[in-house]
Amino acid sequence: MGVSMDKKQLVHKIIVMIFFILLMSPFLILLLWAFSKVWTAGSIFPHDWGLRGWQYILNPQNKILSVIGTSIFLSLAVTLVATIISIPAGKALGLYDFPGKNIVEILVLAPIIIPPITIGMGIHVIFIKYGLVDTFLGVLLIHLVVVMPYGIRIFASVYKAMGLKWEEQSKILKANNWQRFIYVTLPFLKPGLITSGILMFNVSFSQYFLTFLIGGGKIVTLPLVLFPYINSGDRVIGSVISLIFILIALIFMFIIERVITDPKQKSSYYYL
Amino acid sequence: MTKKLRKLLFILLILIIVLPVAGCGNDKGEVLEEDVLEQDWDLIVASAQGTTVNFYMWGGDDRINSWVDNYVSQTMQETYNITVNRVPMDAPEFINKLLGEKQVNRQKGSIDLLWINGENFRTARQAEMLWGPFAEKIPNFNEYVDTDALDIAFDFGFPVEGFEVPYGKAQFAFTHDTARVSNPPRSSSELMEWVKANPGRFTYPEMPDFTGSVFIRHLMYELCGGYEAFPYVEEVNIEDLNEQLQPLWAYLNDIKPYLWRQGETYPSQIAQLDQLFTDGEVDFTMTYHPSRFSGMIDQGLVPDTVRTFVWDQGTIGNTHFLAIPFNAPNKGGAMVLANFLMSPEAQISKYDPTNWGDMIALDINKLEEKYIQEIESTDLGIATLSAEELANHRLPEIASAYIQVIEDLWRDNVIKE
Amino acid sequence: MKYKPYLYLAPALLVLTIFFLGGLVFALLQSFGYFPVLGLTQFTLKYYLLVVKQKEFMASLTFTLYIAFVSTFLSTIIAIYLANYMVNLKQKNKVIDFMYKLPIAVPHIVAALMIVFLISQGGFLARIFINLGVINESGQFPPVFYSRNAIGIITIYMWKEIPFITLMIYTVMKNIHGKLNDVAATLKASPWQVFFQVTLPLSMPSIISASAIVFAFSFGAFEIPFLLGATYPKALPVWAYYNYISPDLYNRPIAMVITIILTSVCVMLVGLYYLFMKKYLRQWG
Repeated sequence: MGVSMDKKQLVHKIIVMIFFILLMSPFLILLLWAFSKVWTAGSIFPHDWGLRGWQYILNPQNKILSVIGTSIFLSLAVTLVATIISIPAGKALGLYDFPGKNIVEILVLAPIIIPPITIGMGIHVIFIKYGLVDTFLGVLLIHLVVVMPYGIRIFASVYKAMGLKWEEQSKILKANNWQRFIYVTLPFLKPGLITSGILMFNVSFSQYFLTFLIGGGKIVTLPLVLFPYINSGDRVIGSVISLIFILIALIFMFIIERVITDPKQKSSYYYL
Repeated sequence: MTKKLRKLLFILLILIIVLPVAGCGNDKGEVLEEDVLEQDWDLIVASAQGTTVNFYMWGGDDRINSWVDNYVSQTMQETYNITVNRVPMDAPEFINKLLGEKQVNRQKGSIDLLWINGENFRTARQAEMLWGPFAEKIPNFNEYVDTDALDIAFDFGFPVEGFEVPYGKAQFAFTHDTARVSNPPRSSSELMEWVKANPGRFTYPEMPDFTGSVFIRHLMYELCGGYEAFPYVEEVNIEDLNEQLQPLWAYLNDIKPYLWRQGETYPSQIAQLDQLFTDGEVDFTMTYHPSRFSGMIDQGLVPDTVRTFVWDQGTIGNTHFLAIPFNAPNKGGAMVLANFLMSPEAQISKYDPTNWGDMIALDINKLEEKYIQEIESTDLGIATLSAEELANHRLPEIASAYIQVIEDLWRDNVIKE
Repeated sequence: MKYKPYLYLAPALLVLTIFFLGGLVFALLQSFGYFPVLGLTQFTLKYYLLVVKQKEFMASLTFTLYIAFVSTFLSTIIAIYLANYMVNLKQKNKVIDFMYKLPIAVPHIVAALMIVFLISQGGFLARIFINLGVINESGQFPPVFYSRNAIGIITIYMWKEIPFITLMIYTVMKNIHGKLNDVAATLKASPWQVFFQVTLPLSMPSIISASAIVFAFSFGAFEIPFLLGATYPKALPVWAYYNYISPDLYNRPIAMVITIILTSVCVMLVGLYYLFMKKYLRQWG
């Protein structure tokens, strides 16, 4: 019995290994392209290595650096505003029962199910009418719509797990609102802040269609720059932009975990 | 957080969202467009100093984008202190944008200058989306352009009437690698033979890509009675046209199984076809700019055995233009930019294949001697055909009213099963 | 005090009502031909009839459903397998734990770019095959992009979706495993039985939730089928978009009809999925 168990485990192990090789291989190809200069058709490896792609990015005439700045700023703003709105909303859904709760829950979750193009194309003309197209604010607002459901959902589970008893306890112990928030609520919220922050930032940072439609070409984010490179164009430049994209997302994840995590609290709950 | 603080934040949030929305509203402010047309050119230039011009143009060619971002932007900054903001957007998309803005009467748009021609110009004029007529206000237009020439006064047969100014001229050409194909087909019948002998090595962009669109018009000229069979009309009768085009559909369906991917799918844009060509997946690509590939050879993007060629019957040429939308926020600046782009210096820089390779829109008879010399000494590159050969093989475009209909009929007749 | 939850919800509800419901309602109105700026104020079903009668409509719908179903189904199965594997490991494998989350941080279009570089006919794998002599030219490498089999698109979705679903179900599975594994062991149940009769049913709610999200996403996604899809049929969102930017303004209501149908089908399918699964779970008690 021992032998056949090991064999089975080995088979599973191999399958999983193959899976991970497949999963990681695209990254390797990306790295190869990002650091090549000339890679003609048909050859397995680039002819020439170089930093041509990186020079293109750093050249201020190509405006890539300012696009990166816009993207980060936009997504940070979206994440911040969405977090501020989602926390109380999550509290309401996680801790209270009230008439209409079902409807609210559906409304809050709907943007995850309903395709963004419907919303974007539907509201586009209204945005034009009220001067929200081609503006930072307009793009921020439409991003909020797709990003908030994740945040609200996460905070709702956080608050639910926390329950009312902590708040009640601290009220009994005569803590005021501010103290309650800092010492009781916040530690519970932290894992949720991390997860929702990362998720919301990513969703906003990766958004193409809504930024393109509502931004009208004036608000340029990284996905808009990368878009034409997916099926044509200079692969070296496309790879470098992609690498930067991934790096920024990873750096943000890293920063947010560092800044928010309480080293004493090693919870890995994702509250989804 | 205290209840008061929270309430305050809540109110603030509402204000942040509501105020800008309410504040924007309908901008019915008096736009001084009439005044701009009345002003002295020097005043226009002076007022445009320190402003930004949003230049919306097709972004599918990196070299063109580079030329605008570098040469054009820098010179405009140095000479006029105007910042050029290039925004890549396909013509159908910015037409759509302007349409939306026209619908709600948005007086202050975001586009100052447009790169446009053909059926898009026609749509724009019919929907009254363009500002003008402004051409006669542009000094370089008056000085250097042959304003009566048929291909300046008419855009795909549609009267320009000063609502756009010429930017450059293009002529369609095929591209191949002489190392792979030594004797390329130069007519529709030769092409048919070639694809049958070399299945899977040829394709064309799907409609409504403008290069794909002009490609099938070449077949249309050969198979359906030449461009004379398609006289200028304001509106097109779809059924009649469909009848007329039956030989074209028959041809395209006949070659279908011998195309790349057995003709079941087509590259969605010219950029994709170029990619297939450089990757070695097909043996031909197409372009509106015959010198483009010389420039690409210089940059090492394609091998130096690449050449362009035209068909025996000739290839279609046209002029492309610059226009200003009805709600451009910076009409003066747009005119200054348009004027610059029409200057001999800019036109010659544009003509150089290491930059773009686009043909000059100015009348060579009106140019000073020094410019003529510069033009003649420009190395068009080894892949480019001589100006004479191109001129001898140049065919006119047909009325823009046909274009959209042909593109729609292509989908019905060739794509859908 | 009773209005407290409403107060907390107010900002979120404001944003969602104005912009989300607003967008949906306007799309709906426009699909019925209500277009005051074009002078159309009559509610009509003619655009719906126009769309549904077209051959292209069924072709697009089927194509979109195919992509969504296949990618969601395969991703879910593989994610369950992977999550279960990780749950059963004696010690937490830090490498695997880190690696499987990486694709989640990668935006969809970047994933598309990388996978195109890998498996397109001009891509890395094709070049290896050519150099190994397996095939002579790139045209012989199986066409996974711009093709009706949509294998390339499905692969891209799966590359993103498997890690996402795994992440969403792992924690739940681990909890169940922790609590019930010992119990099952004492009862001498085999790993298969433990998995199929205990772990799986108990993890179902999160599996359903994760796969529903993934399905909705792949059904309504625009970017990837737009860039990498075939000429015909186009995925529904792509077809809607082409109608939206058509210079013929009267195609706008048609675009809206397509998006409303798209949305309705999506909502219906997700709803049915939930109902069906609830029934299934009820059987398990």
